[in-house]
Formats: sequence, C-alpha cells, structure tokens
Amino acid sequence: MMDVSRVQKELTECNKDKGVSGVSIELYEGADGRGSLSHLRGTISGPITTPYEGGTFKINIHLPDGYPFEPPKMQFITKVWHPNISSQNGAICLDILKDQWSPALTLKTALVSLQALLSTPEPDDPQDAVVAQQYLRDYPTFVATARYWTEAFAKNVNTGTEEKVQKLMEMGFPEDLVRTALEAVNGDENLALEKLCS
Amino acid sequence: MHNSPAEDGVEEECCSLNSNPSAAVDSVLGQSALRLGLGVGSSQTPGPDEYDWSSFRDDDILHQQSNILEEEAEKMLCVGEKEPLSALAAEYQSGSPILLEKIKMLSEHYSGIRRTRGDGNCFFRSFMFSYLEHILETQDKAEVYRIKSDIEECKKTLQNLGYADFTFEDYFDTFIELLDGVIQGGEGSISAKELLQKCQDRSYSDSMVMFFRFVTSGEIRRRAEFFEPFILGFTNGIGTVDQFCKTSVEPMGEESDHIHITALSDTLGVAVRIVYLDRSSCDGGVLNVNHHDFVASQDAPEGGNPSRPFVTLLYRPGHYDILYGKLPPSLSLSLSLYIYIYISSESLMALWRRG
Repeated sequence: MMDVSRVQKELTECNKDKGVSGVSIELYEGADGRGSLSHLRGTISGPITTPYEGGTFKINIHLPDGYPFEPPKMQFITKVWHPNISSQNGAICLDILKDQWSPALTLKTALVSLQALLSTPEPDDPQDAVVAQQYLRDYPTFVATARYWTEAFAKNVNTGTEEKVQKLMEMGFPEDLVRTALEAVNGDENLALEKLCS
Repeated sequence: MHNSPAEDGVEEECCSLNSNPSAAVDSVLGQSALRLGLGVGSSQTPGPDEYDWSSFRDDDILHQQSNILEEEAEKMLCVGEKEPLSALAAEYQSGSPILLEKIKMLSEHYSGIRRTRGDGNCFFRSFMFSYLEHILETQDKAEVYRIKSDIEECKKTLQNLGYADFTFEDYFDTFIELLDGVIQGGEGSISAKELLQKCQDRSYSDSMVMFFRFVTSGEIRRRAEFFEPFILGFTNGIGTVDQFCKTSVEPMGEESDHIHITALSDTLGVAVRIVYLDRSSCDGGVLNVNHHDFVASQDAPEGGNPSRPFVTLLYRPGHYDILYGKLPPSLSLSLSLYIYIYISSESLMALWRRG
C-alpha cells in the first residue's frame, strides 16, 4: 500500500519553499477535475547558466503502490533536448529513479536531482543516444538545439497566461490587444511585447 | 563501453567516473554503470531504426533484472525457522572438506542456525531478529531502556543532518513498537511466534530494515571523519562519505560490510559477533573458524572484559544468517546437575515407595 500520509507531508514540505528551490509539486487533475495522490505533476525551473535557463519544465509523476520503497516514476512532459532525457517521450535516465532509490529520498530531492541533471549531463550514460552523440561530437550545436527547445517548449506554458496578460497590461497596453498579441505568438511574452510595440 | 572514453572523444569533465585510469577501478566502474540505470548498452551507437527501441531499453532491463532478483529472493522467507547446525553441514555434503571440517568445529560452540533472505538486506534482518529475540527471551528491560535512549539520539542526529522527519519517523516507530512488544505483560505484547511472523511480513520487515539503514547512515555521516578512510579504502579512493551513504547504505538491497556493522553496532550500543565460514585455512594446515567481535565503542572505554555479544551472526561470503550458541558451560552444568538431582530424588522416592 502506498503511504498516503507521507505523500501528503511531502507535498507540503516541497511547496513550502518552492520560491527558493525552484521545484514544486501539485496534484494532477484528471478530466473529471479530481486529483489522486498517486498521480502528481512536478515543476522545475531550468538552472541558470545552462541552455535550459528561463524554462519551466513539467514532469509527470506516478507513485507506485510500493512507494516509498519503490521509486516514483518520473517522465518529462515538457520536451527537453538533453543526453539523459528521451527527446521522444521524456523518459529519464537517472540512478536514483532506478536502483539507487531509497526511502530516505523524497519527491523534492528527486526533482532537485533532475535540476542537477539538467546542469550536468552524463553523455556516457545516455537515455537519448542521438542527443548524446551530438553533445560529445558537436557541443556548440547541442547547446544551440537545447536552447532552442527551451525557448520553443519550456516557455510557452499556458498556465501562466493570466500572469502574462497582467504583466503586459501593467505596462499600459489594453487587455484585448494584449490577449490578441499573446495568442498570435503562441503565448510568448517577449514576442507579444514586440508585437504590441511595433 | 563506459571504459573507453577516448574512442568517442569524451570530454573528461562530463564523466568524473572516467577520470581515474587505474585498472583496479574497472570493477567499480562496472558497478557504477549498473547503478546509473543500466544505460551502458544504449551508449552503443544504434542505427536510426533502432533508436526508438533503445530509448525503452533501460527500464526493460531494470524491470527484468528486479523480477529475477525478486523471484530468487522469494524462495526464502525474510527470516526463516531455526534449524539445527546439521542442516548447514547437509548443504556442503558434496562440497569443500574444509567447510565441512569448519562446520564440525562450529558445532562445538553453536547449536543452530536461522537463515535470512538473500536480498542484500540479510545483515539487517539477521541483526533485527537476533536482537529482538534476545530481548524477548531475557526480558531485559534495562537494555530496552538503554537502547531507546540511543534511538532518541539517532533521531536527533538525523534531524541535525537535515533529514525530514517524515522520511524516517515511521520506521523508527515500527522498531520501537516491536521493542515494546517483546517485553511481556504490556498491552501490545507479542509471543516468540508473533515476533517471527512480524519479521517475516515483508512490509514490517522492510520498515525495520529501513530503520537500521537510517541509523547506520546517520552514524557514518555524524562521524564522517572516522569513517572516511575506511570508505576511501572500500571504494578504491573514489567515494565520499555522502556518496557512500547514498549509494551503499540508504537504498534497500545494498549489502552490508564492516563499515555498516561498525556504525550500527556503535550507534545502538549493541555488540555483534560475526563468525566467518569460508574456505580459508591457516598456513600450518590447522583449521580455525575465525570470528570478529564488533564491540560498541560506547562500551569500550569502561574497560574490563566486555561480555560476549549476544547477537551472533554467521557470515558466508556474500551472506549473513543468525547463529545460535550452545548454552554457556556454567549454565548447562547447573542445568544437568539439577536434572540429575531431580531424577535421583525421583528414583529414591520410587524405591522408598516400593520398599
């Protein structure tokens, strides 16, 4: 049986300092609008001075019945260009999510480890062979691709639309124009601003 | 794959594991490769067609591997029934004569064995059962009182080290509950049979293993300076205390070594005797069954002759089981004397009645 009370404590603990840690967890709400403690969604911010800087990455978290004796199943929802993350399906190659998991670890420490993985890829132990080859043979192209993917997939987060609208309105643009502009550029705040200024 | 960075033009900084060219490290690297999720195979350069398939490989292999391990482990209970030492000899009937000779020597001092599951947690399970069974048999309340205060200290150590309470408190509670349970006369008192059942119950048993893993890890980290040289020796100079605890102490199924035993024995103040059963023999051809006593450091400074540890485990390379000593000579002597007097008086009575 999954340890429900522990999961609840973990959620509280993780979200307490999400401003500092850059990681947070929420319940995944299904189509019926109801969440379950075995299906969660994690968010990590891309570490600075990496090609992932400025991106917000969503992670699908499934807790098996044996949690915390069994590791949580994690997979990137947001597309990432990284040697240890599948560019196809977001599968992650990280020891602590496999045989090095321990009940002494938490969902928060696992997400923080994912952040660390973004900072220090391990191309010799890849999940995505194509990305790993590129990382090893043509590092500049790897960086450019990773940065492009971050711009394209990790910055257009729909959930933040209202905040963006608010922000652009505070700059003095009327709401309807802001919304049309944002829609036209697929939610990219900077492009919307350019559009509004032009 | 992992050991040939040059071919692929790997930049040194991306894989710290490869920075040490020593051949001795190779086996460790192999292990690390396994630890890193068995992704070694996928670093081969697959053609574009194989690509999709290779991205699922990791999980598949890991899943299959854990299934095999699980299957093997389930053939044996977490903690088995007590068996006479002859059961051990039977195992080696067609095996090494050295081992058979050693088992014969063992039988001079030991009477029985209790096997534990070989899933990497066997040291902790053996220690757990042996200790609790001893408390149940002796009803040593002073010892329970003593170890509880040590457990309180362990808890503080973990808190000071930054472990969140919810990660360990349940496992601590499980052990304390059982500790209280084996003392008879209370509300939750349990019998020897119930103790065995609890230790055989997977979730109970695993929770207690985690309790021991936490206190062991806490002790190693608390006395990092003391343990560091041993850890460096153990990992061929590439491991830190933190890494060691994270990869070799805290995950379930990681086997225990001298470092774990020393730390656990020290932190809980419980001495452990390990009896070694292997094929080694002395130079002169004289066989000897070696043993090593881990005397809890907190007992040591008091001097005097430390009593013989009551937790005695049998170590065969890669595995620990529980060993049962014969009754101490003084006790068995007084017992036989008592039986002798009893029988004599009975026969005297019978004679008297007849007469």
